[in-house]
Amino acid sequence: MRSFLYFLLFMVVAVMIVVLAAILGDEGAWYFAWLIGTTMIVLVSAAGGAMLDATEDQLARRQGGDPAGHG
Amino acid sequence: MINGTVVDLSRLQFAATALYHFLFVPLTLGMSFLLAAMETVYVTTGRPIYRQMAMFWGRLFMINFALGVATGLTMEFQFGTNWSFYSSFVGDIFGAPLAIEGLMAFFMESTFIGLMVFGWHRLSKGQHLAVTWLVALASNLSALWILVANGFMQDPQGAAFDPTTMRMHLTSFQDLIFSPDAQSKFVHTSIAGYVTGAIFVAGVSAYYLLRKRHVDLAKRSFRMAVLFGVLATIGVVTLGDALGFVDAKAQPTKLAAMEGLWKTEEAPLPLNLIAFPSQAKQRNYGAVQIPAVLSLLETHSLYGTVPAIDALERQAARQVEDGIPAVQALEALSRNPQDPAALAQFDAHREDLGYGFLVQRYAPDLARVTPAEIRQAAKDSIPPVAAVFWSFRVMVGLGLAMLAFFVLATLYSLRNRVQEKTWLLKLALWMIPLPFLADEAGWLVAELGRQPWTVYGVLPTWMSASTHSVGYMAFSLIGFVVLYSTFIAIEMYLMVRTIRLGPAEPGGPRDRESAPRPMLSGRPFAAAPQVAKRED
Repeated sequence: MRSFLYFLLFMVVAVMIVVLAAILGDEGAWYFAWLIGTTMIVLVSAAGGAMLDATEDQLARRQGGDPAGHG
Repeated sequence: MINGTVVDLSRLQFAATALYHFLFVPLTLGMSFLLAAMETVYVTTGRPIYRQMAMFWGRLFMINFALGVATGLTMEFQFGTNWSFYSSFVGDIFGAPLAIEGLMAFFMESTFIGLMVFGWHRLSKGQHLAVTWLVALASNLSALWILVANGFMQDPQGAAFDPTTMRMHLTSFQDLIFSPDAQSKFVHTSIAGYVTGAIFVAGVSAYYLLRKRHVDLAKRSFRMAVLFGVLATIGVVTLGDALGFVDAKAQPTKLAAMEGLWKTEEAPLPLNLIAFPSQAKQRNYGAVQIPAVLSLLETHSLYGTVPAIDALERQAARQVEDGIPAVQALEALSRNPQDPAALAQFDAHREDLGYGFLVQRYAPDLARVTPAEIRQAAKDSIPPVAAVFWSFRVMVGLGLAMLAFFVLATLYSLRNRVQEKTWLLKLALWMIPLPFLADEAGWLVAELGRQPWTVYGVLPTWMSASTHSVGYMAFSLIGFVVLYSTFIAIEMYLMVRTIRLGPAEPGGPRDRESAPRPMLSGRPFAAAPQVAKRED
């Protein structure tokens, strides 16, 4: 039941995104570009942090130490 | 007629408060999404270092936000106190986005900021992340509505003047929010804020790396900031080009001033890289030009051309002549709103009503207007060229310098060689003022380039102000400058103090201090157990 409710929630979100994208695509291409661009910038930045962790973990494993950033 | 000195002082007061306010806003816009990025990594990887990062940068964000709100409040009041004719003339259109901005800033943004700051120990990881994303979204949506309002001032869409009520009415809310100027201005400004946030985080992280303090936090913050910044800077340059493209159609006088274009030339037009424009002589001194580049930039074609100031002045003179009967019809309608002849005359000339107002400054009685007064009004339709030209070059130059820095910093960060490059870290520290200067220069281009209008082509600045005394305006201007300078000093002090203190180490005394205090629920406060619920 919980999975079904989540499915419904995400479907509603997906439909809203499709409708929003269709409207913005016609009328507000720059707003649409901002939404997509901002999401991309944030995710690339987050991936950069995760990549740094992965590199340091790999280095620490090679040297037999504790992976960094685990507190 | 309103005293010219009062108009100038009203402009100066708004410019001063806006310039101060605009030192805080871009940092809020940019840091909010950087915080969202850091917390996203914390929630997805579970590494406490990212929680520490989000909390530390969140503290700096809060200092900036609090002072930003304090400086922004008075600007909205100024529309009523210092620009009452403007408010009456376009309030039906301008009021809606301004009210939505107020709701966004004070209800959505402030509520979620409260949850973000005080919710670390009270919300689950996922809930807190959602709140941080909503803060970022609300901050930027708040800016959206201000820029929709500003977009209307630059290119009035979705409204029409009603001669029976003597003010502008909203005809299409959709046209107002989807106007190309509002859209391109919002994306350009918002992403300029991302660049500001990225430079700030990279610069402060570089300070820690140089001093070998909080290294784990600093190198992760630096990496995330430079990746965020390099993409944002590419975006801001691209969207700046789009804004120029939009302005070429909507505000040709601004574009001509930005490029120092005095005389109409055949395509391809050269770009004035450096020049010293003289408004009196209508020419540039010491111009250094790059052939054909301006045509490519402004029309995206080698064969495209844009009107120069000489052609725009001739066109403005024709519009002034056409606008005079519209103003005369309004005068007749103010005596008899049902006068059919006056209504017909107004409808025939309504497009150029604003230009009729422009010449009224020199000829209050339009029946006696002279050709010299028409020529003078046409000359007035051109913004201050040297100021717009150089503000534009400062903005673009600093933007390109930041792009070069971010490309270099990203390269070294991805190779994990940032800590070896002390020159790069020192450079990052010195880069901190640059985006703030670029933001201010960009604001000057937008607002000085709109002159002599408060609403482009519709309402001249000279008739938009309130009828205060010179003494009142000078006194309140000095008051604002002193107050806002104090705010800047407080911000600098708090920022520097927080940065020197550094982030709270996990489990350290300052981290424990941020744990929740027990609620006053019938028990003596001091007797309540000091237990913090930790997620990590």
